[in-house]
Amino acid sequence: MAQDCDKPEKNPGESAANPLGVAGRRGVLMLGAVAATSVVTIRPALASTAASVLNCKIPIPDPPHTGQYITQDGKLVAANTKGAVAPPPRPITGEEAKKMINGQSPAGFDPSSREAYVNYIRRLQHGTSGFTCYASLQAPRP
Amino acid sequence: MTSPVYAADPPAARVAVALDALVAVYHRPSGATHLLAAPSPELLDALAAGPADAVTLRDRLAALYDLEGDGTAMIDARMEELIVAGLAWRI
Amino acid sequence: MRHRHSVKVGPVGFRIGSAWRGPVAALHSLYADYPTPEDDIPDLTVRLYPERPWRRWLRPSVAISGDYWLPDAAPLPLAQGLLAAEMGMNLQVALGWRRHLLLHCSAVERDGRVLLMSGASGSGKSTLATLLALAGWRFLGDEFAFVSLDDGSVYPFPRAASLKNEAVAAVRAAGGVVGPVLEDTPKGRIGYWRPPAHAIARMAEAAPPRLLLFPRFGAPESVEAMAPSEAFVRLTQASTNYVALGQAGFSALTRLVQTVPALAIGYPDSATGLAMVDRLWGEA
Repeated sequence: MAQDCDKPEKNPGESAANPLGVAGRRGVLMLGAVAATSVVTIRPALASTAASVLNCKIPIPDPPHTGQYITQDGKLVAANTKGAVAPPPRPITGEEAKKMINGQSPAGFDPSSREAYVNYIRRLQHGTSGFTCYASLQAPRP
Repeated sequence: MTSPVYAADPPAARVAVALDALVAVYHRPSGATHLLAAPSPELLDALAAGPADAVTLRDRLAALYDLEGDGTAMIDARMEELIVAGLAWRI
Repeated sequence: MRHRHSVKVGPVGFRIGSAWRGPVAALHSLYADYPTPEDDIPDLTVRLYPERPWRRWLRPSVAISGDYWLPDAAPLPLAQGLLAAEMGMNLQVALGWRRHLLLHCSAVERDGRVLLMSGASGSGKSTLATLLALAGWRFLGDEFAFVSLDDGSVYPFPRAASLKNEAVAAVRAAGGVVGPVLEDTPKGRIGYWRPPAHAIARMAEAAPPRLLLFPRFGAPESVEAMAPSEAFVRLTQASTNYVALGQAGFSALTRLVQTVPALAIGYPDSATGLAMVDRLWGEA
């Protein structure tokens, strides 16, 4: 790139050396209420760390269907249906979902239920609780 | 208790673009981008003349603008925000 | 890798290597009309591989890697190999491209100026761009817009559009050809739409942006002007490389929001959305 990094970029309204802000000429400067916020730091969405994504949660099943059981291929059925597994005692985190998908059995969950949970997660659709968490396991994250 | 004395990088360390009521600021030393509302951009520029406490800052600003609002408590609050954002510090 | 494919999309030359023939064959077919990287030198490499050796044959699942990679992306079944290839290509661009400011926007061009549409999945930006292309606009891309760091013009990235769920039917209803279609992917049903030949032929032609929309599909019809500072913040969230570009990214993005008006629009259905775009474009 041709630009010289020591010189300020020239853009409309841009100035590195002169007083700036809305009161560029002599005008009123409101000092604001003590409790107000005047500084917002940009935190790009994609700067989320591995830790924060893996802490997102997937409730199994999603809240409208609490209490339903999960078949081995990930579908929801009435509680106590033969052959289906009970839901996990709490929502699973992204980290735990990742482990289950990779064949491991994280602590706190019945290992024989792993496949049912994984298939349930794979069937998650946009709009279901936990879908964003699952999709974010797949999505690019710089 | 003596009032805190604030300092900031010289203006050339920042690239500022007034977008509307908010000013977008790129801070070269950290690579961070911030959006600032008055009087924060003006405070950073007022520090160009050297480190200053809230009273001095108020006087520097009063030389350029008609100030509204009681000065020093608000200036301390704004400077605190700028410090958290990494745009200023206490010496 | 035993199977390979090279393709140039907009400014990016890709080389895709795969342990299986399927994904490469699907790419070859979908991208049949696209050029190959100049002098056969790719910018970015994608690898589709089995995480464990037996995963090449036993319930084969495709893991994605390349020049840039993520340690914990879950692999996809081989039947969704084309999706894996698409995600791999997206990933390499999102993590590795530095020559332009990347925005998650769809883009179409008319009369030498570009309409940018920014939004998350489900906002309708990809569907609207595809429908506008079917209505005669030049298709520049459904997912990524490449903004020049020098002069702010928008460079096309006219990959095959990836249409999700209801969008497949909507585009077919408008006369678009959608295929192949993958079912039961992590994102639901996905259908691929190939841009018209002229959009591919003009993939190196940039144009300056004229209007920026933040669409919301399925909302009552509404139009709200967006202040440049809000558009700025929203676009930092919609860029995969804003931070990495440092001051150049800051300058490009502030230039964009200062020179291009931004509107948040709600639209209940595609027909309304298209009518609104026509009207707002005329007023811009």
